[in-house]
Amino acid sequence: MNPMQDQVFVIEDDSSMRNALKNLLRSVGLEARLFASAQEFLEDKPPDVPSCLILDVRLPGISGLDLQKELARSNIHIPIIFITAHGDIPMSVRAMKAGAVEFLTKPFRDQDLLDAIQVSLSQDRIRRQKAGELAELEKRLESLTPRERELLPLVVSGRSNKEVAAEIGTSEITVKVHRGNLMRKMHAGTFADLLRMAAELKVSPTQRPS
Amino acid sequence: MESDPIGNLTSPKTQSDDLKVFDLHSRSKTFLFSFNYHRSRMRVPQSPYFRYVIALAFVGAALFFSLLVQGFLPDGFLIFFLSAAMLAGWFGRTGAGLFAVVVSMIAVVYFFIPPYRTFVVKVDEIPYFLAFLFSAVVTSWLGSARRDAEEKQRAYLDELFEQTPEAIMLVNLQDRVLRVNKEFTHIFGYTLQELADRPSITLVIPPRRMAEALQGRERLAAGQPVNVETVRLRKDGSLVDVSEVSFPVVADGRCIAYYTIFRDITESKRALEELQTAQAALAHLSRITTMGELASSIAHEINQPIGAIATNGNAAVRWLAQNPPHVEGAGEALECIVRDANRAAQVIGRIRSLLQKSPTPMFHLDINEVIREVLVLTRHEMNRRSTTVKTELTNQLPPVIGDRVQLQQVLLNLIMNSLDAMTEITDRPRELRIKSSRNPDHLSVQVQDSGHGWEAEHSTAVFDAFFTTKKDGIGMGLTISRSIIEAHGGRLWAERAGPHGAIVNFTLPIADKAE
Repeated sequence: MNPMQDQVFVIEDDSSMRNALKNLLRSVGLEARLFASAQEFLEDKPPDVPSCLILDVRLPGISGLDLQKELARSNIHIPIIFITAHGDIPMSVRAMKAGAVEFLTKPFRDQDLLDAIQVSLSQDRIRRQKAGELAELEKRLESLTPRERELLPLVVSGRSNKEVAAEIGTSEITVKVHRGNLMRKMHAGTFADLLRMAAELKVSPTQRPS
Repeated sequence: MESDPIGNLTSPKTQSDDLKVFDLHSRSKTFLFSFNYHRSRMRVPQSPYFRYVIALAFVGAALFFSLLVQGFLPDGFLIFFLSAAMLAGWFGRTGAGLFAVVVSMIAVVYFFIPPYRTFVVKVDEIPYFLAFLFSAVVTSWLGSARRDAEEKQRAYLDELFEQTPEAIMLVNLQDRVLRVNKEFTHIFGYTLQELADRPSITLVIPPRRMAEALQGRERLAAGQPVNVETVRLRKDGSLVDVSEVSFPVVADGRCIAYYTIFRDITESKRALEELQTAQAALAHLSRITTMGELASSIAHEINQPIGAIATNGNAAVRWLAQNPPHVEGAGEALECIVRDANRAAQVIGRIRSLLQKSPTPMFHLDINEVIREVLVLTRHEMNRRSTTVKTELTNQLPPVIGDRVQLQQVLLNLIMNSLDAMTEITDRPRELRIKSSRNPDHLSVQVQDSGHGWEAEHSTAVFDAFFTTKKDGIGMGLTISRSIIEAHGGRLWAERAGPHGAIVNFTLPIADKAE
């Protein structure tokens, strides 16, 4: 757990409940940012750290379920834990189908909430990590010359330097130099690393002419 | 029959129903009242032949009497011939009247205007003759005009009588049926032939309404109209709900007959009953809905602070579980708990003050009067459920101080409970007893039924909110009733009545002693 970095958002219109949640989270070392309505939350600029959202279903203005839809539409992938005073089954099914981590009915067991928060934060952390890695790879891909980028699908298809040279109409030695630059720029130690990166960047290997 | 009016007049047995109607109400008159009644063709013209014979007969009679008195009353013929002209006009209308005038003229010229026994009129007798002629024409016209007017008048009234959409019965002073209309036959099934000359009271009055009907007759005989909503008997023995108005027919200050008008109120009664059932169901539904909404909003209001208390409690436990315990954090959470608990208490307090009405005006009340008012309100419901009510109200009870509407609600609630409890009872009478009595410092009221009561182990539960023995009850009635009575300084309790049913008692302090 990395408490200083993680962030829990709470949207709850009842001030008693809001404060109680803040107290509970603080007692386990989590910092909470409190909002009384969905609007307040949307106006806030969230920090770029692993986070999750504790969301009351019944809210003044935009309801919890509406906010969930709104966030999905805006491509904001924050894990959501719903809490409600009177949740019915169809409502919870709807929330869970739309990707909520947990649906808790007040009064809930504190451990259930804290567990859900941990699940949410680690989900978000993994998602962020993956997103960060992809961004890094894309940066490396950007740094390639057009010739090197042309070479990449051919190389990852498993062709030999000779075959590649024949296919693009150049000498084997030139291919060898380009290939060395490609490996270096992509930070690929081995050919296997390059294959994984290509897969993540969705660069598909060029099919051999049959 | 139109073509053979003489037959009508001389052999009434061959007449149609319609003519019998006529026949009946003119039976005491002579055959000369040859009024042919028929609904669609009111005025049946008489045969010209017959009319002229009649006219001739009148003139003949006039001539006979004139000759009889001629010796000592030379001008007597005037009276007889003028009378003949008028009567001929009356019976035979204009044509026969004029015919009588012409024949009379010839007879007069021949017998009574000099020179006698000739058809010659002396010049100086001409004015006399003309005066006679003129008078004869006028009297004949008067006769026929009078007859026309009478016949129209009768047609107007007959049509009204027959076509009125309510049943009408005319009886004479001896209660013999004289006439009924179409609607009467429609409602009761009797035609006039079946009724004519029979006493109405034995026909349409069901035996158990006889006393009431006789009372009505007495009032009628005293000249007062009678207006009742009651039950009458049809020909086929079935009963019909009617609204009935009877009134005397007065001629020359003397009562000559009675009219009774019946209106079939079966439909409107059923509609009223359906309306009342619907209203009761609606009231019940809205009460339950209100209770449901109230309960749900109370639940939400209370659930919030309770949820917060639980969460803060958990936080405090976690602060204290740290090593070393984080006392400050725990203290903060505990403060929140106290605040939330107070808030929950406030919510409950608000609800309670909502349920306790603002102080209602209290007045001196006669509890018996309140009981009677509620009995009036529930009378229909009791009839509907075939429940009898027996009241033993002690007279001259001292007043109590209270809110009339609230006490009515209590009684209404107790009575409705009793009625509900007896709905399914079929093996014993459904009986409701209401008793009021006086004790040294309070009045007591007792409501007892013969219903299903409740199980012995429920004796203490009946006052619990939401306890009910009814299928669709909400279990608030007795609870609310008790809090109303207690707010009035009285007590309310219930006991099982052996062998069946329940008794609910309540007391109210006597006004003077309460102050």
